[in-house]
Amino acid sequence: MNWLRNPWSRPRVLALVTWLYILWSIVPVIIAIQFSFNAGRSRSAWQGFSLRWYTGDPDLSVLHNAALREAMGQSLKLAVLTMLIATPIGVALALGLARWRGPGAKASNFLMLFPLVTPEIVMGVALFLVFVYLFKFIDLGTEAQLLGHITFSISYVVIVVRGRLFTIGREFEEAALDLGASPVQALRLVLLPMLAPAIFASLMIVFAISIDDFVISAFLQGGAESTTVPVLLYSTARNAPTPNLNAIATLLLVFSMLAIGIAISLQRRGGRGKGEAVESFARLEI
Amino acid sequence: MPTHRRSGGWGRRSIDRRQFLKETAGTAVAVSSLGALMAACGNDGSPSRSVAAIEVASPENPVTLDLFDDNPSIDSGLEPEAGPLRIFNWSEYIWLRVVKDFEEEFGVEVEITTFQNMSEGVAKLRAGGTDFDVFFPTIDQVPKLVAAKLLQPLNLSYVPNLKANVWPDLVDPFYDQGSRYTVPYTTYTTGVAYRTDMVSEDVGSRTNPYDIFWDSQYSGKVGIYDDYREVMSMIMLRNGHTDINTGDPEILEETKQDLLSLIDDVRVKTTIDGAYSGLPEGKFAVHQAWSGDMIASPFYMPRGEDPSVLRYWTPPDGRGSVGNDLISIPRSSQNPVLAHLFLNYMLDNDVAFKNFSWNGYQPPITAMDPATLVSDGYVLETLESAIVLPQNVSRGYRQLALLPEVDARWQSIWSEFKAGA
Amino acid sequence: MKPGGMRLPRGFWRLFALPGVLWLVAFFVVPFYAIAAVAMGRLDPLFGTSAPVWNPIEWDTTILTDVLSDIAGGGIFQTVFFRTCLYVVIAVAMCLLIGYPVAYYIARHGGRLKVLLLLLVIAPFWINYLMRMLAWINVLQDDGYVNRILMFVGLLDAPRSWLDGQPSTVVLGLVYGYIPFLILPLYAALDRIDQRLIEAARDLGASSWRAFTKVTLPLSKQGILAGSVIITLPMFGDYYTPDLLSQSPRTSMFGNQIDFFIHSGTGEATGATLALVLSGFVSLLMIYYLVSVARSSREASS
Repeated sequence: MNWLRNPWSRPRVLALVTWLYILWSIVPVIIAIQFSFNAGRSRSAWQGFSLRWYTGDPDLSVLHNAALREAMGQSLKLAVLTMLIATPIGVALALGLARWRGPGAKASNFLMLFPLVTPEIVMGVALFLVFVYLFKFIDLGTEAQLLGHITFSISYVVIVVRGRLFTIGREFEEAALDLGASPVQALRLVLLPMLAPAIFASLMIVFAISIDDFVISAFLQGGAESTTVPVLLYSTARNAPTPNLNAIATLLLVFSMLAIGIAISLQRRGGRGKGEAVESFARLEI
Repeated sequence: MPTHRRSGGWGRRSIDRRQFLKETAGTAVAVSSLGALMAACGNDGSPSRSVAAIEVASPENPVTLDLFDDNPSIDSGLEPEAGPLRIFNWSEYIWLRVVKDFEEEFGVEVEITTFQNMSEGVAKLRAGGTDFDVFFPTIDQVPKLVAAKLLQPLNLSYVPNLKANVWPDLVDPFYDQGSRYTVPYTTYTTGVAYRTDMVSEDVGSRTNPYDIFWDSQYSGKVGIYDDYREVMSMIMLRNGHTDINTGDPEILEETKQDLLSLIDDVRVKTTIDGAYSGLPEGKFAVHQAWSGDMIASPFYMPRGEDPSVLRYWTPPDGRGSVGNDLISIPRSSQNPVLAHLFLNYMLDNDVAFKNFSWNGYQPPITAMDPATLVSDGYVLETLESAIVLPQNVSRGYRQLALLPEVDARWQSIWSEFKAGA
Repeated sequence: MKPGGMRLPRGFWRLFALPGVLWLVAFFVVPFYAIAAVAMGRLDPLFGTSAPVWNPIEWDTTILTDVLSDIAGGGIFQTVFFRTCLYVVIAVAMCLLIGYPVAYYIARHGGRLKVLLLLLVIAPFWINYLMRMLAWINVLQDDGYVNRILMFVGLLDAPRSWLDGQPSTVVLGLVYGYIPFLILPLYAALDRIDQRLIEAARDLGASSWRAFTKVTLPLSKQGILAGSVIITLPMFGDYYTPDLLSQSPRTSMFGNQIDFFIHSGTGEATGATLALVLSGFVSLLMIYYLVSVARSSREASS
């Protein structure tokens, strides 16, 4: 039993476990994607290749089903707006928290961390109740969903940007200040460009998180027009769905993959190889 | 010739339309909380006069809703306004084509806002953000809405179709004598839906057809509505109790035991759309169903499959659960004359037929001869039992508003069921 | 411009943080307060809907005490609470059992395939949770691959109905859904461990197993704890996983109860109370975690 003596060279059991896990994790998704191209109605019995669920079927395909298209539109709309609003707020907050040395800094830091550990349903309930009973000028629907998405996204941006800030350190800024730049100039001309990869990464991450969100979107839904794709997936899945469900989920997957793919590839700026980029992304050192 | 619902844009009906079930027979008390009951009575110690003021209407105890001096009906003989007419309805409960025809006939625009369940609808109405012109309440909400002066009394001179076209029993219904605030919209029964290709027996020939819900040979393929009133009243009917609004502790305990046994006996699933969607798709062999859902169900059959396997059973003598939905006019309507004309329009024979062909829920129109609905192609022959007969309205058992403490007990049983306890 | 370093104006950085902080106060703190206001508010006497009370002095804690005594004293909420705890504990344990070896393997033995393995393990982050769950449901259908493979291999005689209200399906579903969120922090922690420490242990004569238990495992404890917290807290509030995998009340979790009551019109206050109780419970767990982190860092530095 050589491998017991010298497991560093060939950890077979660990390798097996890892690959089995990866198969278990990914294969069902691949099957789901495969069945989105199914010619028949079944989601488990392959009946031939066809694009009917994407474009062909006159009632149910993504192209022809207005409800699916509207949901996709709503998801994209929310994701883009959230990305554009949450990222600046988050970057500013990250900068502020990292440099703030006064009363309230710790509390603000704590406040920022809270959304990350709060169960989504609690946030959903909280936002739902506040929009119904307190902030009544904001109707449930797209406005409420947008506000909710931004709220939980801010903390993610802070985490991402903060990591990078920490890596960068203060030397460059201080050098700029020593050379006569004003704080604003130091910020604009030195710090922000160095933060750019992290900022772009957070844009993409916020986009992906927003597109995938289910609980907040469901709780803050107004009428049928504020249905997002995950909400639609959920409600359709509880019926007996057809492969058009797989099709819309696959499309959603493509969008999220694009976003995260861009986020990872942006790590290559700064002269890192792709492998390093992936590794540092995994360690959340962006 | 039947109009084709598919082409009319059936689409996927929003599943939450029928989530009104979660709120049927609204009450004033939160679940299992005596404290809340005290709060409802008014912390200042005065008894809740509003609870006493709401009479529970029933066929034996018909109720005439109050009229208030500060909430008069409109005068007769006025010209209709220019609109736009704002309709507030369940999602996907009225055919858009019917609405379009109204727009053309009266030269106005119509805006439809929808709600997913009755409490959402009532909440929006109370909030007063939009001035709706037409609202579709359920019977149990009406007394509260009237007491809160959210509905305006009708001037029936604008709605001659009511007396002319509607079933007599519903022209002067027990819940709104003289139709002061409401006109009926649709009627329905609640029964048992099943598929002959998964259920080889004739459900109706059982001694007690309701027993099929507990039959473990269909384990895993049994569904009930996610609504405590519908389910618990069905259990009471199964056990031979015809007062499906009772607060009798023994009956409630028996109901609770039967309800809980469903979880393990047949691994029951609760749904909203199981009857018109899950059953045709083969997800269920047996499902609790409303007649309207079943009339619509053939259109949800996957293409190429035979819809004649879908069947519906309800007590043939009409002694099952029956109900109807209503149309009313909110007090804050900006176009009351137009709204009245809309109510009249919906009670027009042709319009009612047209809406029915899309909706599946039967309007109580006398011109609609149940005998011809099948031959005219509105209803599949195999689903003839889903047609509501006028005599059902008086013979059937209705789910009425429950007294608050009774409702609290019902809801507590239901929560126990939902908790899987 | 004054050369040689200009002093930053007071509150410069504070201004940066201000929009974020204000936003979080308005849309995070205040909503939390709204939960409390509804949970301990009144009911509209006519419609039975909630009427929130904003002044803490006037709060009515009857529903809260009812729910708490129900949980403490064997009522329906206790059943659901215990069931939820059970599912979460088992699911997290399984996540660790599977996730730790995977993270370990990638961190220590990834070699040339490391990047590929990482990509595959990060993949679930791109993939919508619901889609993964649906994919999982897909293969769990009566005629799906799981049954087919199990029957082929001989472990099953007839197709088993997985989606029928089985607790095992729900627990496995939770594992499937949350395990990626455990693997990444574990990987990060394991990756940071200096290889030389382990080599030193081996040089000193420790067997590889002892090197693992005495060096690697303790050093990765923080990672284990952090990862476990990351998945445990959200799992307690999960309601869509049982809902998708089993529409039966048998597997109803705490989150399902909250969802049910909040949407039930007259039970809104109870739902808000349950949400409050859940937050309280989760905060306790969080405090425990923070305390143990603080304690271990004190130990490390002493």
